[in-house]
This record gives sequence, C-alpha cells and structure tokens, in this order.
Amino acid sequence: MTAFDIVTSGFLISALRSATPLTFALVGETLTQRTGVINLGLEGQLLVGAMCAYAMTAAWGNPWLGLVAGAIAGMALSAVHAALVVGTRANQFASGLAVWMLGFGLSAYYGSSLVGRKIESFESIVPKSVADLPVLGSVIAGLTPTVVLAVLIVPVSALWLWRTRTGLRWRAVGESPEDARAAGANPSLIRIQAILLGGLLSGLGGAALSVDYTRTWAEGMSAGRGLVAVGLVIVARWNPWWTFPAALLFGGAEALSLRLQTADANVSAHLLHCLPYVASLAILTLTYVRGRVSSAPAGLRAVMDR
Amino acid sequence: MHLSLRHISKRFGATLANDDVSLDIPPGRVLALLGENGAGKSTLMKILYGMIRPDTGDVVIDGRPVRLPSPRAAMDLGIGMVFQRFSLIPALTVRENLALANPRTPWIVGSGARRVPGLLDRLRDIAPDVDPDARVSTLPVGQIQQVELAKVLNLETRLLILDEPSAVLSDAEAERLWSLVREIAARGIGVVLITHKLADVRACADDVAVMRRGKLVGRAEAADTDAPALLRMLVGDDTVATVSAEPVRRNALPRIWIRDVSADGPSGTIRDIDLRIAPGEVLGIAGVAGNGQDTLADACAGVTALRQGEVTVDGETLFAPRLEPRNHGRVAYLPEQPIRNAVGPDLSLAVNLSLRCLRSLPWMVDRKQMAKTAADLMERFDVRPPEPGRRAETLSGGNLQKLVAARELSGSPALVVACYPTMGLDVTASAAMYARLFAMAREGCAVLWISEDLDDLLRYAHRIAVLFRGRIAGVCDAGPASRTRIGAWMTGAEAFA
Amino acid sequence: MKSAFVSSFAHSAAGRLLLSTAAFITLAAAFFLLIGRSPWEMLSLLAQAAVGDGFALTESLVRATPILLCALATALPARLGLISVGAEGQLYFGALVGTGFVLSATAVAGPLQLPSMLLAGMAGGAAWALVPTLLRTRLQINETISTLLINYVAALLVTWVVYGPWKNPASQGWPATAEFPENARLATYFDSRVHAGLWIGMAIAVVAHMILTRTRWGLGLDVLRSNPRAGVLAGLRFDRHALAVMLLGGALAGLAGIAETSTVQGRLQASFSNGAGFSGFLVAWLARNHCLRIVPMAFLVGALLAAGDGMQMLAQVPSSVTLVAQGLLFVAVLGTNGMLDRGAR
Repeated sequence: MTAFDIVTSGFLISALRSATPLTFALVGETLTQRTGVINLGLEGQLLVGAMCAYAMTAAWGNPWLGLVAGAIAGMALSAVHAALVVGTRANQFASGLAVWMLGFGLSAYYGSSLVGRKIESFESIVPKSVADLPVLGSVIAGLTPTVVLAVLIVPVSALWLWRTRTGLRWRAVGESPEDARAAGANPSLIRIQAILLGGLLSGLGGAALSVDYTRTWAEGMSAGRGLVAVGLVIVARWNPWWTFPAALLFGGAEALSLRLQTADANVSAHLLHCLPYVASLAILTLTYVRGRVSSAPAGLRAVMDR
Repeated sequence: MHLSLRHISKRFGATLANDDVSLDIPPGRVLALLGENGAGKSTLMKILYGMIRPDTGDVVIDGRPVRLPSPRAAMDLGIGMVFQRFSLIPALTVRENLALANPRTPWIVGSGARRVPGLLDRLRDIAPDVDPDARVSTLPVGQIQQVELAKVLNLETRLLILDEPSAVLSDAEAERLWSLVREIAARGIGVVLITHKLADVRACADDVAVMRRGKLVGRAEAADTDAPALLRMLVGDDTVATVSAEPVRRNALPRIWIRDVSADGPSGTIRDIDLRIAPGEVLGIAGVAGNGQDTLADACAGVTALRQGEVTVDGETLFAPRLEPRNHGRVAYLPEQPIRNAVGPDLSLAVNLSLRCLRSLPWMVDRKQMAKTAADLMERFDVRPPEPGRRAETLSGGNLQKLVAARELSGSPALVVACYPTMGLDVTASAAMYARLFAMAREGCAVLWISEDLDDLLRYAHRIAVLFRGRIAGVCDAGPASRTRIGAWMTGAEAFA
Repeated sequence: MKSAFVSSFAHSAAGRLLLSTAAFITLAAAFFLLIGRSPWEMLSLLAQAAVGDGFALTESLVRATPILLCALATALPARLGLISVGAEGQLYFGALVGTGFVLSATAVAGPLQLPSMLLAGMAGGAAWALVPTLLRTRLQINETISTLLINYVAALLVTWVVYGPWKNPASQGWPATAEFPENARLATYFDSRVHAGLWIGMAIAVVAHMILTRTRWGLGLDVLRSNPRAGVLAGLRFDRHALAVMLLGGALAGLAGIAETSTVQGRLQASFSNGAGFSGFLVAWLARNHCLRIVPMAFLVGALLAAGDGMQMLAQVPSSVTLVAQGLLFVAVLGTNGMLDRGAR
C-alpha cells in the first residue's frame, strides 16, 4: 500500500468519522472552558450519551431518537458538575472526575443488557452511486448525518461565540467574572448554561460514537476521548474554528492506526492504539513550547495554573 | 437629577464606617469628597452605588426615597461609578467592552462588536484618539480610564462617581481628566470625585465635602477654601507624627549596586537598570503603575531571576543570572499585596513569621519554639491579634502589612525593598511604618522604596529615580524643585532626550 | 452558642465524615429507589457482600491494598497543590517494569529477587510520573490533563506486552505473562489473598504522615502549596519539590502495581487494575490528603468495590452497581465539603 492509497482508499472518510464524536465533545468543552470552567466529566458524559442513545435506538429503531436521548443524558449528567462547581464551588478537576466515575458507573450499569445487541443506524446521506466519483467519491459516500452535523456545529458555535451578545458575555465571564457581573451579566447562571451546553454536545458526541461510528455498545467505549478533548481544547486555543482540525488530528491518528493494522500484521494493534493519545499529548506539548497558550481565558488560567 | 443622602449610618463590626452622614449632590456640579484612607468615603459611595446597604438612612432622588439593592438598580436610576480598579476586561477590545455593558446591545453584535449602533458616540466625544478595535490590555492607563468613563456615560448616567481617578495617572493625564470632568459637569451631570489629593480639588471641584472617621466634618465651596483649612479638616486636631529623613553621606561606597540589570516578570520587564544606593540612603522609585516597578522589586529581592546584570551587596554578588539566589537575610522585602506576594494565606502566623529562616530550622520542627518566637515578634511590631496559631488570611490588611514588616525588618538586612509599604494603613500606622523604614536607614541600611505617592517620595526620600517603560528615565535629588522634572520623566516626555 | 457548636462540629473531620456519609446514603438510597429496589435491603446486602464473612472481609482488604497505595500516591503531590490523576498509569507501568525485571533477570534469584522486583516496580512508577512532572515544571502544562492522557498509554503498553512479546505460550490464548516464581511473591496471610503489601502501605501512610507534619520538608511543602511566591522568599524551589513528591507518589503507585500483579494475580494481565488509581484519587479526597485518614477510607472504598461480585449474586444486579455507588460517594463528598467550605468563606 502506498501513501496515495492511504489517502484515497477511505482514509480521509475514516478520519472524519472517527473525529465526529470528538468534534461534538471538543466544541462543547471549548464553549464551557470559555466561561472559565474545565469539565473532565466529559468522558462520563460521552459514555452516558452513548449508552442512552444506543438503548433508545435499539428500542425504537430510530437513530435520530437516539441522538436526542444521548444529548439529553449528557446534559443531565453535566448538571452534576454544574451543581458541584457553581453550586458548592468544589474543585473543578475533582468534580469532573466524580462526574466521570458516576457516568462510567451508570453507563456500565444500565448498559450491561445492551452488550451484543444490534441496531439499525444511519445510512449514507447520498445515493450509493456517488462512491464511483473520482477522488472524493468515497468521502462523500461515507458521509452520515452525524458527520454533517459535526461539520456544521463548528461554524455555528464560532458565530455564537464571536458574533452574539451571549457569546460576548460568555467570554467576559471566562476572563473576569467580577467585571462581567459589574457589566450586568450573571456569571453563575452563564457558567451553568455553558456547562449544560457542553454536556448536551458531549452527549450528542457519545450518541454519534455508539449509534453511528462503532454501532455497538461496550463498557467504557469512549476510551479517553473526553480527556483527549480536554487537552485538544488547549491545542485549539479555545477557538471553535480550530476545534475541527484538532479533532481531525485525533481522528487521523486513529484512522492511521487502524490502517496500519490491516496493512501490516507485524505492528501490534495495541501499540498502535497508543498513537492518538501520544499524538494528542505531543501536539499539546508543542502548543506550550511555542507559547500559544496566552490566549487562554484568564479565569481558566487561574484554575489550571493555580 | 438632584440626589441627597440622608442620615446614612453603616457599621462594620466594631467600626462605624458612616456615622449619620447627610450629603447633597446637585446636578451639574463637581463635588470633591475628601478624606484619608478609612475615613468612610468609599463606603458612602458604595452605598450610593447599591453595593452596600446602609444600616439606617435614605438615598433620595428629586425628593423621593429610592431603593438600591444592587449596582444594576443604581445604574437604572442613572448612577454610574468608575472604580479605582478598572472593570474593563483586558482581553476584550474597546468595542466589546462597551457593548458588554450597554443594555441596548442587540443579540447579533458582529465580529468584534462592530455592528452595535451608537456604541462609540460618547467615546468619540471624550477620547477621539482611542482605537476602538484595540484590546484594552494594550492601552495606556489614561486611555483605559477614558474608555471606562465612556462606558459609564453610555448608560445615560446623570450622576457620576469617580473613585480616586487621578491616583494612577501621570500629571499630564490627570490634567486631561480634570478638563473632561469639567465638560461632563457642564452637561448637567452631577459628579462626585472621591480623592485625597488637594490638587484634584483645586483643579476641578465646585464644592468640597470632607469626611473623617465616618463623619462628614465640613462642606464648602471650593473657591472659598484654602489648602491649610482643608488640611485641618482632613486630619483634624490630631498631631500626625512627622518623619524626618536623615542626611546621607554621599561619598560612601555603595551598599547596594543594582548593576545593569534586566529581568522579565509577569507584570512587566525591566531593562538596563543601574542604580547605586549608599548606606543609610533612601532611594525612591517613582513612576506610573505598570512601568516595571513590581519586576524591579522582585529582581532586587531575588524573587525573579535576572536576565542580565547583577545585584551586589557590599561588593558581593547576591543575585545574577544562573546563580542560586543567596540571600542569608541580607535583603528584606515588603512587596505590595502581602496576602498574594509575601504570606501563605492558609498557614499560621507562626509559620509565616519563620518563613525566612525555614531552611535553617532543625529537620524535626519544634512548633512550640516557633510559636514563642512568633509571639515575641508580634508584640514588638504590634500585630493584632497576637495569636501564633491563627491563619494569616484572617488578619486585616494593615495587620498583614505589619506581620510582613515584623518578619522582614526584625533581622539586620543590608537592603530593604519596600513596595507601597503604607497601602491599607491609616495615618498613624503609616507614620509608624515610615519611622521604622527610616530607622533601618539610620542604622546603615540601603532602602529602595517604590511608591506612587509623589508627595511622600519628595518629602522623605533622598533621591528619586523614575521608571518609564522598564527603564530608568532619570534620577534626581528629592525636593519640591524636582517635581516638574519627575513629572516629565514619568510621562516619557524627555525619557531618552 | 449552640449554632456555633454545631458549625464547628460540622467543620471538624468527624463532622465532615458524618455529613458526607449522610449525603452518600441519601444519594445511594435515591438511586436504589430509581432502579426499583428497597434502599434498606440494598444497603444491608451491600454491607453483607463487603464485610459479611471472613472471605468477604479479606477480599475487601485485598481490594483496598492498591487503592491505599494509590491514594498515598495522590495525596503526596496534593500536599504541594498538584492534582495528579496519574496513579492508574503509574500502577500499570510499575507492574510492567517489575514484571519485565522478573522475566528477564533470572540471575537475581533467591532472597534478593523479591525486594529487587519491588524496587524495579517502584522505579517504573516513578519513571511514568517523570514526564508529566517535567511538562509541568518546564512548560507549565497542567499535570491533571497530562497524567490522565498518559494513563491510557501505560495501560495499552501492558495490553501490548501480554498479547505480544511477553505472552505465555502455555496459557492457551489467554493473554497473560508467565506465572511469577514463588520467591517473587509477597507473603500472604489468613489463608487468603491478603498480602504484605497491605502492611507496607499502612507503614508508609504512618511514615508519610510523620514526615509531612513534623519535618522541615513537610513544612516547605505547605508553604509552597499555600503560596509559591512565599516559598521563593523562604528559599524553596517549587520544581525540586514537585519532582520529589511526584516521583515518590509514582513509586508508591508502581509498588501497588507490582504487588498486585506478582502476588494477587500471579502474572501480568491486561486491565488488571480495576480502576484502583482512580479509586485512590477518590480516597485521597475523602481523607483530604491526610495520610492517616487515608487508611480507613481506602478500606471503605475497597470494601464497597469488592462487594460488586457479591451484589451480583445476592441482589441479582449488575456488579457495576458498586461503580455507581463509588461515583455517588465522590459526588457526596465534594458537595458536602464544598458547601462547608463555602459557608466558612
């Protein structure tokens, strides 16, 4: 297999599909962190979203219902983070881990009966004949509704953050809650809203993961995607526009590891699975080496640097 | 809008911050509210701005009492306040900051809030040269204050409160501010100017009200009063302990040589600083805040690593790049904001007092001995309450300042670095702090004293060096005659001429 | 006066524990009601499954052992204000290095094999802590995020070796290394899987407590945690202390890993930790990084988790019910402490 084959024979679409769940989570976490709150519970929200979406799809046979259920479940779990962090001012990292543990437990508990069940999921959004088009045919043919949604959510969230009064207030709260309050915003309320929106998007990401990407349910199936997302927010410099390339980076690493596995049996699959994490950590390190973290919201820097 | 405060009283614990204060604020006039630190003028204005609720008394607008449960409510009534600590968000642009505070901002604001109509009208009036798309963090402090003013005026403000507005400004910027205040008042807006500077009163006030210890002790038209009369009202009949600086032997070898020092700190950089301080000399550092003062202090105290140059004491290098800092008690450091820069807030007073000798403690720490030493020190420096087991964060600002002084000045340092050492202290405690600092100088110590209060610097220091954009703009002997030169250096007018 | 007494009790260690427990029981009861079971029945079954008989009790102790060590591995960096969640990865990597040592170093046999294996495991854990520490001290990269990310790498490395190069050909498809030789195992007690790692962990907890509270070094950690700038005035170097606490913590987690692998499981297997690193993190928070309080808390959480299999049999619920309970416990503790601290401000 040549490098050219890697790109054309579906590499791009598998990177895109792998990046889809992450994009939702990443955009959500970016918006949350913009208000000065970090949420490690993302991992648990992905799991709960994935489990609920899978259960709903299995029960009703409609993947759209699954997406809705996943989004609601993710938001519901993130309410725990909101209550702990905004309500009782608990440590953000610890609270996120608590939400993760809870989400892991709940999804494992309710998901135990779902293991091995099959579902009907999304079809490609275009007719099969498109796949025969040269170069990009296979990419377009592989597009499912969740991929399209993920691609759309990026500009929407960017416009939301940069061009609306709400986005302006969110950014102000992330920079300085006191000054934002003086300007008439309610920092606590805004942070709760941002955490819940992050929860909704990560739940959607979980749904995309189980219902569309893997089309199975397994305990702990998000495998660190949520934590990777928290790291990639920094790489994307808290800018929604940059979340998509950052997510593609992870997706590309995962797709590459799957490609290499099928191409060359000598490289261990388990070793290759390290690739996305190592790549994320490496690019995160590179971001810091180049000193690009100065764009962090000031309120968030206070949390992360202590 | 004619606003009156009627019989306002407010108590915080044991102190009566406002004691039956009644004050009229007519429209279109500038009222200077004078008072020392802790006289109760800030409390009174915070009541007026809805941040604090009074125990008794009313705020009356045009004859009707009003309720002020929050700043929002005050803003809705047309009361606006500009704080000493600006409330603009540095990472956002001028437009974004204005849009954030403007209640008429539509939901779609456009990129960089460029689509909000009418946003810049007031700013154009008062500060046409401010770039509306610049981030606030890149603006000089005078312009930041102008944006802040525009922000408040955008809210249809009819009464404007300015909290110590000239404290952070250079003389030229202050003059611009004074003419602005006159213009604003000319439009029929009432202005309250909280200050402790007589210069502000002379320059732009119509009326003067003076507060002392929570009471309103005098009110007059500015034109009818002279400086001595005001001063008497300000400090009352208290005889304030005056401190006299000692003459200094200039021919002596320098005790401290800050030699060609450059350093980068979180709040600024300094470049090519070269200063020599003789034994017993008090060298004042003047300059507008944010020109590298903190970094200079940190560098001289060994807190920030030097990038270039060295700091020597009696000819021996203490701090230099790539050199493990060797202090051994020879540099005493009184940084600004001790709670952030000098103490562990959740640690006991005993631990905080033994911080400097932590590394020479025995491996197994004797807590009893530590508490005993601490109790002695706190008695000597009048730190209250003198409980060694108490956590530092529970002390008042003034007592924290004394706590740090107790730790730093109780040894025998060769250099004392003092940043705004009297901030948060009342008149008597300030005098005591100065007395202590200058006593150190009399014993042969070199003192590097950073202050924003030019009057105090001119009165007490031997020489004054001015920091401008991280460099020494000039050094001169202290004395009333030097005021204009220093002012020019502070604003960079002849920085490198 | 009465309310002052109530408030000071609530803020004491015992008061916090009591309120957290009450909050946990309330949340757990709500969950049991949600799944249609009687809270009282479920809680008593839980207690029975955790400590009901000798076997349950010893299994709880076995489960508590790595959690205890991992909690200490979390508490040590926390004394400097570092929030490390890396115990999980350090545990895996410690087990990996320790196992590698035993598999390769046939020369070191006899009485020296056990201590040198333990040391190798500790070195492995410490090495795994080195990367996040350097990222933090050199580049200011948040240690919580970096430790979480490389946890996965360590776990996957273990999976790789047990499926690949170190796989025991005699184990017929089951991915695991060869069995540890008899003298590379810790002593066991009570005719059960309870092993000497428990005593080692408890001894380390006591020693760590003494060092942290009585010595100059411990005081230095307090100063640097409270205010790094004050630490500089005291002549303390944050970087060196960070390196020390992180590596020591890593060594303890590595010890947990190699002890569990060599003695409880007898061979290196994939996903053997059962989340002990994360449970340890929870325990450290429960004990508010107090090394002595960590011991009972580790037993509490260990017992809760060990009850999972028993619950499957006794109450016919999936064993992950205890994972839910663990999450609820963490939420209860954070909520209670957050509210108490907020009231104190």
